[in-house]
Amino acid sequence: MATHQQAKKQRSRADWLLLILGVVLGSAFGFWITPTILYAEKPQPFQFDHKIHLEQVDDGCKSCHTFREDGSFTGIPDIESCKECHSADEALGEDPAEKEFMKYLQADQPIPWLVYSRQPDCVFFSHAAHSENAGFECSRCHGDHGQSTSLRPYEYNRITGYSRDIWGKGPIGLSGPPHRMKMDDCAKCHRENGVNGACFVCHK
Amino acid sequence: MDWDRRTFVKFAVGAVIGVHASPLIPKLMDDSTIWTQNWSWVPNPEGGGVAYARTVSPQTGTGVLAKIVNSRVAGERAIRVEGDPDHPLSQGGVVPADASALQLLYNEEIRVTSPMLRNRKTGEVMRITWSEALDQLAGNLSELAKSGKAHQSLALAPDPSDVTGRILSRLMHSLGSPNTAYTPTPRETMALAGVFMMGQPFLGFDLANANYVVSFGTPLLEGFGAPVAVRQAYAKWRGYPKNPGTLVQIEPRASVTAGQADEWLPCKAGSEGALALAMCRIMLEEGIYDKSIESAYGFDDMKGFAGFKSMLMKDYDRNKIAKMAGIPLAKLIKITLAFAKAERAVAVCGPGNSGDPGRMYDFMAVLALNAFKGNLGKPGGVLTQQPLPLKALAGDIADPQQPPLAGGERPFNVNNVNAMAKAALAKKPYGIKTLILCGGNFVFNGPQANVMHELARKTPFVVAITPYLDESAAVADLVLPSTHWLEGWGDSTTPYGSPVSSYGVHRPLVKAVPQARDAGDILLAVAQRLGGKVAEALPFKSTEEALAKRSEDLGDFEELAEAGSWVQKKAIYGPPKFNTPSGKLELFSMILHDLCVKQAGSADVLENMLAYLGVEGGAKTAFLPHWQKPAAWGDLKGNKLLMQAVPSLRTTWGGDAITPYMVKILPDTMLAEQDKLVVEMNPITAKALHLNDGDLVQVESEEGSLTAKLSVYAGAAPGMVFVPVGLGHEAFGFQVAGKGMNFNNAAGVTSDPMSGMPIWELTGVTVKKARG
Repeated sequence: MATHQQAKKQRSRADWLLLILGVVLGSAFGFWITPTILYAEKPQPFQFDHKIHLEQVDDGCKSCHTFREDGSFTGIPDIESCKECHSADEALGEDPAEKEFMKYLQADQPIPWLVYSRQPDCVFFSHAAHSENAGFECSRCHGDHGQSTSLRPYEYNRITGYSRDIWGKGPIGLSGPPHRMKMDDCAKCHRENGVNGACFVCHK
Repeated sequence: MDWDRRTFVKFAVGAVIGVHASPLIPKLMDDSTIWTQNWSWVPNPEGGGVAYARTVSPQTGTGVLAKIVNSRVAGERAIRVEGDPDHPLSQGGVVPADASALQLLYNEEIRVTSPMLRNRKTGEVMRITWSEALDQLAGNLSELAKSGKAHQSLALAPDPSDVTGRILSRLMHSLGSPNTAYTPTPRETMALAGVFMMGQPFLGFDLANANYVVSFGTPLLEGFGAPVAVRQAYAKWRGYPKNPGTLVQIEPRASVTAGQADEWLPCKAGSEGALALAMCRIMLEEGIYDKSIESAYGFDDMKGFAGFKSMLMKDYDRNKIAKMAGIPLAKLIKITLAFAKAERAVAVCGPGNSGDPGRMYDFMAVLALNAFKGNLGKPGGVLTQQPLPLKALAGDIADPQQPPLAGGERPFNVNNVNAMAKAALAKKPYGIKTLILCGGNFVFNGPQANVMHELARKTPFVVAITPYLDESAAVADLVLPSTHWLEGWGDSTTPYGSPVSSYGVHRPLVKAVPQARDAGDILLAVAQRLGGKVAEALPFKSTEEALAKRSEDLGDFEELAEAGSWVQKKAIYGPPKFNTPSGKLELFSMILHDLCVKQAGSADVLENMLAYLGVEGGAKTAFLPHWQKPAAWGDLKGNKLLMQAVPSLRTTWGGDAITPYMVKILPDTMLAEQDKLVVEMNPITAKALHLNDGDLVQVESEEGSLTAKLSVYAGAAPGMVFVPVGLGHEAFGFQVAGKGMNFNNAAGVTSDPMSGMPIWELTGVTVKKARG
C-alpha cells in the first residue's frame, strides 16, 4: 500500500513537471508562431536610398514629402515630383534600382511603393498638426527611416492586410514610436501633451 | 516516469496554458476584428489630394461639385457629389439622384465595359472591339442608305437640345432619315404655348420672388423643373430668409406638395385647365384683373370668331366649373380673390404627376390667367428667358425626302416618340429596320415601355448606346458603352420653368470605364465611317470640339468647361416683347390659326381637320386658351378608375435609374416588404371594389398590368389609383432590380389633340384583387 502511494506521489511530481514543460513549450510555440504565421513579406518595387536623397535636398524630408495647399500631406511623392530632379532621358548612375526606376519614369506610371506607416482608413491623422504645429521631428514616429540606405522588405499582416510597423516588431506588440504606431501610442502622447484624446479626434 | 493518459493530459493542459500565455490568441482575435475593416464590399477609397470640380448634372440641369480624390497610385476617383453653392439653380443644394450618382458610376456590375454584339438566334453575347462595333453600325446604316431605305431607321435620344441630340439629329437627317425622337418634356409644350400666345418660346416662372403661387397639378416639390431651385423658392415662401408667401396646390392627391401647401384644392384629375379659366372668369366678373389684357388680341370678339371674353362668359361659369372639378365654389372664389390681390402672384403649369409634357391648352389657360393677373415680365411672375447664345453645329441640312413615321398630318411637327414607335410597329406608313437607342433607356422609360420593348424586339437591328447594362441594352443587338456624365463630355440646357436660362457643360472628371466613349464621339465616328454628306454634316473629331463650336459665343471654352455652367446673369423684368403677328399678347393665336389653315388648305376643311385631330369645340375655340376634356375620361366605364403616377425626389422621372441609396430611403407607402409596389386608393373607392388595405391587387390598363400592394389612403381622390413612378427595373443590380413594378408598362399614352405631344397623365384602369 505504502509502495503504491509512494509511486503515485513520485509520478504526480513528474506529471506536474510535464505540465510546466507544456506551459513553457506552448508559450514558446505561441511566441514563435505568432509572427511566422501572421506576417508575410513583399518586396518594394526597387531599392531606394533615403540617405543619398536627403543629402541632395535643402529642406530635409519636406523637400519630397510635401504638404498640399489645403494643408493635407502628400505622403509618398508622385512621379511628377521625381521628375523635378530625374530625367526620363538619362539615368543617374548605374545602380540596378535606377534602371527599374527609369521604367516607371519613362512610362510616366506611379511607383507602387508599399507604405510602412500606412494607418487603417478609419484613422484620421494630420501631419500638419504634428510636424508643423507641434513641431515634432519626422523621426519621432518614423525613426531613422530618412537615414536608411536601402528599403527593408515590407511586412504585412496576412489577416488585416496592414503593415507590421503599426503593431511593431516585438512579439507582444509592446514598445512605442518609432517602433510601433498603435492607437495606444497616439493616446499616450495626447495625454502627455494635454491634447484632446476623444474618439472623434482621430476617428471622424 | 510512465507516459500515460494522466501525464499526457497534464502536458497538453500545460501546452494550452502556454499558448494562451503567448500573444497568439489575443493577436488572432484582435486581427480578426480589424479584418472586418477590409471586407471587399467596404468602400475604402485610396487617400490622396482632394479637389472639388464644378460641373452640371444633365439629369437636373443644376450645378454640382464633384469631390475627387487624386490617389498617387489609383488615380482620380470621385467620392462625393454635392450642391454647388455658386450655381444659381443649385445654391448648394442637391437632389438624392445627383447625390448618389456615384453608385451608378462605380457599379462595375451595371456598367457596359466594352462593345458587345448579341446573336439573336442563340442569345450569345460577344465582346468585340470598337473598330468592329463601329463598322457594324456604320455598315448597317450605309446599306440602308444605299438601298434607298435610310428613312427606315429610327433614332431616339433623351434631349433634343443637348449636343448629343444635335449630333444624332444631324447624322440621321444627313443620312436621309427624318426619324429622330426624344424624351418628351414640358419645355416643348411651354414653347408651343409661349409662341402661340406671346411669340416667345422660352418662358419661366419667377417662383423665388413670388408671394402667392397657384400650382395647377404640378408636383412643385417632387422634381419640378430645376428641383433644388424650386425647393429653395419654397423655403423663401416659408419665410426663410424672407418673402413669406402662400402656396396653393390644385391636384387630386394629398401629395408632398399638397401637404406642404397652405391651401390644397383636391380637384378632379384633368380639370386643372378649366379651373384656371374659371379663375379668369371670376377675375373678369369681379373686375379685379389687369386692364391691359383688354387690349390683347382676341380678348374681344373678332370678325368670324368669338373672343376670349365671350368664351369665358359662355363656357366657364364658376358654379359649373367648380361642380365639375369637385371643389367648393367658396374656396375657388377665395383663392381667386387672394391671387388677384396678391402683390406678386403667379400661376404655374408644367408636367403633371406622371411626368408627361402636359396638355397645350392647359398651358395656354395658365398663361392667360397670368396675363389676367398682369404678371408677365414682373418680379414673381412669368418671365421670358434670354435665349441661350448657342451656335448651330454647322449649316442647315436638307430635309429628308420621306415623311417621318408620325406627325406629318399635323399643323406643326412635334417630337412624339410614342407615335413614331406605334407607327413603326404598325408599318404605317412604313416599318423600320434599324433602331438606335442613344441613352434615355427608352425600353424602361417609354413613355409606354411595352411599346418600346416590342419595337426593339421586332426591329431587325437594335443599337443601344448607354453607360449601363439597362433594359435597353438587354434587347439590343449591338451595345456600345458610353460615358457617365462625370467621365465624359456633354451639355445640358435650361431646366423647365426656370426664370433664367442656363447652360451646363460636363467634362471628364474621372476615369471609370476605360472603354467608354462619349455618345457624341461614337456618333461622330460612325459619321466619319459613313463619309460623304454625313461626314460633311458633322465636321468634328470629338464631342469636345462640337461643344467648343456650339458655345463659341459664351467665351473661352476651357474656362466655360472649368466653370461647368453659364447662367443668365439677371432675370428679364419689364414688359415682354410679343413676337406675334399682332405685336400684342394674343389670346386668339394667329400663328396657330394660320398654321392650321395652311395645313387644312381651306376654312371648310379646317373643321374636319380639327375633328380628326380630336380638338373638341372645333375652330370656335381651337385658337383660344380653353379646356379640353382629357381623353382618359372617356375610358371611365363600369368599374374603371383613373391611374396617375406619384412622383418623388426619391425616385426618378425618366433619365437615369433610381440608385441603391434612393431605394433605401423609399417609404413603405411606395415600396413595401422590400420589393412590392404600393398603390394608393381612397377608402370609398376601395370599399366599392371590396378591397382592403394591404390587399395584393392587379392594376390593369389596355397597355399592361401591375401587381401591387394596396394602401387605402384618404388623401387619394375617389375613383383613382395612384402608382409610384420610376420603380420596377429589371436591370441595375440586385439593389435596384425587382423593386416594385414599372408604372410606364401600364401607362396609356395618347397624343395631345392640338400639339400632338404624347401625354400619359391619366390612364383608365381596372383594379381587382390579385390571385395568390
